[in-house]
Order: sequence, then C-alpha cells, then structure tokens
Amino acid sequence: MTAASDFTSWLDGGRTVSDGPAWLADWRARAAQRARVLGVPGRKDESWRYTSLSALLEQDFRPAAGPALPAASALAPALITGFEPHRLVFVNGDFVAALSTSGALPEGVRLGSLRERLATDPGALEGRLGRVAGAQAPLFSTLNAAGFQDGAALLIDPGVALEQPIELLHLSLGDTGAILAQPRHCIVLGEGARATLIERYLGLDGAGVCTNAVIEVTLGQGAELRHERLQDEGAASFHLSTLHLDQAPGSRYRGVNIGLGARWARTELHCGCAGRGAECDLQGLYLAGDGQLMDYHLDVIHSVPECTSRENFKGILYGRGRAVFDGRVLVARDAQKSDAAMSNRNLMLSEQAEIDTKPQLEILADDVKCSHGTTVGQIEPEMLFYPRARGIAEPLARRMLCLGFAGEIIEALSHEALREQVTEQVGARLEQASG
Amino acid sequence: MLSVKGLRAKVGDEEILKGLDLTVRPGEVHAIMGPNGSGKSTFAHVLSGRDGYEVTDGAASLDGVDLLALSPEERAQQGLFLAFQYPVELPGVNNTYFLKAALNSIRKARGEEELDAVSFLRLIREKLKILHLDDSLLKRAVNVGFSGGEKKRNEIFQMALLEPKLAILDETDSGLDIDALRIVAEGVNALRSPERSVILVTHYQRLLDYIEPDVVHVLYKGRIIRTGGKELALELEERGYGWIIDEEHAA
Ligand SMILES: Nc1ncnc2c1ncn2[C@@H]1O[C@H](COP(=O)(O)OP(=O)(O)O)[C@@H](O)[C@H]1O
Ligand SMILES: [Mg+2]
Repeated sequence: MTAASDFTSWLDGGRTVSDGPAWLADWRARAAQRARVLGVPGRKDESWRYTSLSALLEQDFRPAAGPALPAASALAPALITGFEPHRLVFVNGDFVAALSTSGALPEGVRLGSLRERLATDPGALEGRLGRVAGAQAPLFSTLNAAGFQDGAALLIDPGVALEQPIELLHLSLGDTGAILAQPRHCIVLGEGARATLIERYLGLDGAGVCTNAVIEVTLGQGAELRHERLQDEGAASFHLSTLHLDQAPGSRYRGVNIGLGARWARTELHCGCAGRGAECDLQGLYLAGDGQLMDYHLDVIHSVPECTSRENFKGILYGRGRAVFDGRVLVARDAQKSDAAMSNRNLMLSEQAEIDTKPQLEILADDVKCSHGTTVGQIEPEMLFYPRARGIAEPLARRMLCLGFAGEIIEALSHEALREQVTEQVGARLEQASG
Repeated sequence: MLSVKGLRAKVGDEEILKGLDLTVRPGEVHAIMGPNGSGKSTFAHVLSGRDGYEVTDGAASLDGVDLLALSPEERAQQGLFLAFQYPVELPGVNNTYFLKAALNSIRKARGEEELDAVSFLRLIREKLKILHLDDSLLKRAVNVGFSGGEKKRNEIFQMALLEPKLAILDETDSGLDIDALRIVAEGVNALRSPERSVILVTHYQRLLDYIEPDVVHVLYKGRIIRTGGKELALELEERGYGWIIDEEHAA
C-alpha cells in the first residue's frame, strides 16, 4: 500500500450528515475547504514538532459504508459493574440506539444523537455546533467538522442538576477493514447547570480503527461539568480527540484524561477561560509501552481576570513507549489575578522509553500567580527494595509503586467503579510490561 | 538458625565485609556494635539481598536455607526481616494495602491462606496497639509524612505483623526519644520467643538496657573483632572502642 500524501480520502467519499439546514451545510463545506488548504502539518509546525503523522498516513482509513450493527452481546465486555449511567453507544462513530440506554432524563435535559437533533430540531444547535471550535480550528478538528457522522447532543437547561452520569461509550470494531470513525459531540450547560460526563473509547477486538473525535463544551455562568475521558483503544488503532471548551464567568470544569490504549494517540485540549472567575482543572494520566505514542497538547487561555486553571498530567512509560506533553498556558494582557499551575511528571520504567515534555507559560499580564514544573524520573532502587524486603515480589512491588504514582489522577475520577476499573487496567498493563 | 561464615562483600571496588562470621541460635538476641562506617548496615543489606553489593566469598544460611541464592522477597518469605535504618517513603502507596500485600505474600509462601479483610484488620489493630500507633497511620501512604520516631515504630509494627524468624534491627534506636525507645523495646520484647532471634545493630548501650542481649559483638572494618556477653556493651559504653581496636592491631 502506498502512503497517502494528505487526508483527502477522509474528505471524499465520506458518509456525512448531508441533509439539514443551510448553515450546517455551509459550515461543513467551509471546513472541508479549510482542511484541504491546511494540508498535512510538517515538523516545522510547532504543535507537530515531536509527532510524526507518517504512520497514520500509511494507513488507508476511510469512512465505513454504513453503520456497523453489532449484537447486544458486543457491549458486555465494555460495561463496568456498579456503574450505571445514561448511556449513548457509538460503534465506529455511529450512534447505535439499540445498544443505548439513556433512561429517564430529568426535565430540562435533552440528550441524544446529534444527527437526529439536527434532523428534527436544528434550531437547538444553530450557533452552538462549531461555535467553540471556531473558524480557525486545528486540522483534525476541521476534518471532523467536514466529515463527522454523528455524535451526542447534550443540552441542559439553566439551573438543572443531573446527578446520574452520562456516558458516551465508543466501541471500535475493526473486522471490516481500516475504518475512520468521526463522532462529534456538542455539550451545552446552561447557567448554573451541573453534570458529569464520561467519554470512553474502547477497542474490543484489537481493531485497527482510526477515531477522530471532537467534543465542544459550552459552560454557562456558574455551570459545573465533570468530564472524564478514558481511552483504551485496541493496539492497532489510532486515536485523535479534540476538546474545545468555553467557560462563562464562575463556571467550573474538572477534566480527567486517561490514555492507555491505541498505537498512536493524540489528545488536544483547547480551553478558554473567557468568563471572570472560571475554574478549569485538567488532569491526565497516560501509559505508553512498546509501539505506542501518547501525545498531549494543552492550550489553556486566560483571557479575562480572576480565572484559575490547573494542569496536572502524569505519564508512565515503559518498553519503547513514547509520549509528548506540550502544554501551553496563555495569560492575556488584561487577565490580572490569573492563577495557573501546570505540572507534568513522568515515570520512566525503561531506558528505551522516550518523553518530550514542553510546558510553557506565556504571561502578558503582570499581577498573576503562575507556575509550572516537569519531572522525568525512575523508580529509585531503594523504593523497590523496601517492599521486596517485606516479602512482596518484584512485579507486584513495581506495580504498587507505579499505581502509587498514578493514584492521585485516578482518585480524581468521580465514581468508585471507574477508579477501580482504571486501577485494574493500569495494573494489568504494567504487569504485561514487566512480564 | 542464622549461620554466616567468612562473608566477604564489595561495593564497587571497595571490600567492606572482610570475612565475617556469626552464628545466631533460635531465641537469641545478639547486639552488633561498632564505630560508624564499620560495615553494620552493609551486613544487614547483604543478608537481606539489597542490590549494589557483590558477595565475593563466604556463606549465609537461615535454618539451612542458602540466603545468598534467594531474591530479597524470598528471603523475607523465609522469615528474614530487616528494620531499616532509614525507612523508605512510598508516595501514593496506601499503608493498609502495603501491609496486606506483604502479609499475604509471606503467608502464601508459607503455604497458609490469605487473610480475609476482617481478620486482617483485627490483626493489624492488635499490633498497632503494641506499638502505641494510631489507626490513622493505616490510611496514609507508607512512611510519607511520618515523623522520625513514627517511621522507626512503623518498622517494628511491620515486624510484629510479619512475625519473622530472624529480625535485624538497624539502628532502630537512633533518633528516638526515651519514651519512643521504651515503646520500641517493648514491641521487640513482646516478640521474643524461643523460636525467634533478633540482631540489634546499635551504637548505644541505651537500647540494651531495655532489650537484654545474649551476645554482644564488635564489628570493625568488616569483621567481628570481639564477642562477649552483655557486660561487653557496658564496657564499650564506658571505654569506647579504642581499646579493642588497639588490642586488635596489637594481635
Ligand atoms: N552504596 C555504597 N557505596 C559506596 N560505599 C558504601 C556504600 N554503602 C556503604 N559504603 C561504605 O561502606 C562502609 C560501611 O558502611 P555502613 O555499612 O553503612 O557502616 P555502618 O552501618 O557500620 O555505619 C563505609 O565506609 C561506607 O562509606
Ligand atoms: Mg549503619
């Protein structure tokens, strides 16, 4: 197979949302045009400096001809005991109503397929879909705008608090070839609304699927969202995911990003604190082993005074695993009293593992409290010896120390069942790593 | 019980243990004293299997099992316990989880069943009491944010829980105030039994007032140069090490 030179195959022959209102068609056409103009970013492009797209371009990913319809049993391995959310299921990017259990939602909460919402009630999304991403969105977000198949639309009215979490469960099934999955989610919380949103991405059959997901989040004044994203794609998969976040005054966003799977995964978090007193808390944990790349880009912009942001990412690298952490916090000239702290800590379990970490603060205001820190370290020999001297076998001792390192991020997850699940998954991967 | 014969060990190119002999019988308490840098901690580490030391000659066995052929965890599972001179902090590793993993690893190796949560907690509470340690310790990360005294007491608490055949206490007394010292000593004494032996590595007679040794050794430059009864410790307290070292040089 010859390598593609760009992403035109992603744009052509796509099975996209074609009907619908004129604003939608316009927006998508503009996105397609812009994607063609953007072309393929090279290493001169600062945000792609440490990440090569050649492995992705070598694959001939194309949108599937039609939705895959797996049996209900396909869902079983993806479910977590003790975790019962309102659940929307996406298979290779398509919404599958038959597998979804959105249950009874409180009044003031509209949750469902984006495609369906666009067909039946496009007015609810006009001026919202694509708004946070903006006209200058980066390449993969733009490709998604042009080619997304479906996604979730979640609209919560002002003042409504949703206690039960919402899960967007994505399954990658690769038995029908190199499939491109492009879901797009549009999340809008009205003034003072509250919710917990879990995004999970799972490859159930070691599938070679490429997911290019985008989620746009708008938080109204004083709204609160906990947003947890667990990526555990199959070992042959590619995973791209972009968050566009817009926060009104006094809103709170708490995000946890767990990246475990896929051979090549890139996560972009574009967060704008455009409302006074907004709080944005981004946490992350990534593992990368043989043949894996985990690539994180944070772009947090304090554009008004008195916003707080936290960026705390931890990585465990083993075998020949690679990771990139490129975190940028920009404090605009007028954003006085901004408070930002960014940290990226990495635990290297092998000498072949590689990390490129580049936290940057760009501070244009003068009255701010900002800090950043990076560490790249190993397990100290005495830290391994101590548990062993207590009878604990080396692999368990190693796993214990790694989970101790990762624990702070796992603890930030909202539900005990999720914490247990992630602990188990991280533990299992570390066990394989040392075996 | 413990038999060490002609043990020689190097760190890098430097030989630190230079033909060390020691026999400890079941139920005995031995004190090893000696000036700083004489190799006491090295001896404790070599016995427990820490990396970074090369054993060049000699043998060490516990109840006939060749210790030097085993990994550190296997030695612990055989009933060897080292109370660290400098206990190690394990950030993020919950103490209860750690203790449970240790106890169950050792029980499993002994062919015993793992303890269920309820029996485990009951056992832990009982042992905490012996060391006058607070329950809250269980929720914390291993040794993280512990005071110096708490760390040392925690070592003895772990020993009480794991019930080793042979415990080596490496300067467990240093840095303890008199009350803490008494508590630690009580903990050790509570564990004394005809089947269990203890090696106390210490600088000071003080600890030996509370834990009475059967045998006292002086370790100097990697060898045991003098062995006696508990009166030897008293004599060292009074006269220091100089006279023994002089006699050794004269010999
Ligand atoms: N890891 C090491 N690297 C280099 N030298 C060491 C190391 N450990 C111990 N030593 C040396 O070995 C000698 C004995 O040290 P140690 O066993 O700690 O003595 P003690 O516990 O009796 O005070 C000292 O000279 C010390 O500097
Ligand atoms: Mg010492």
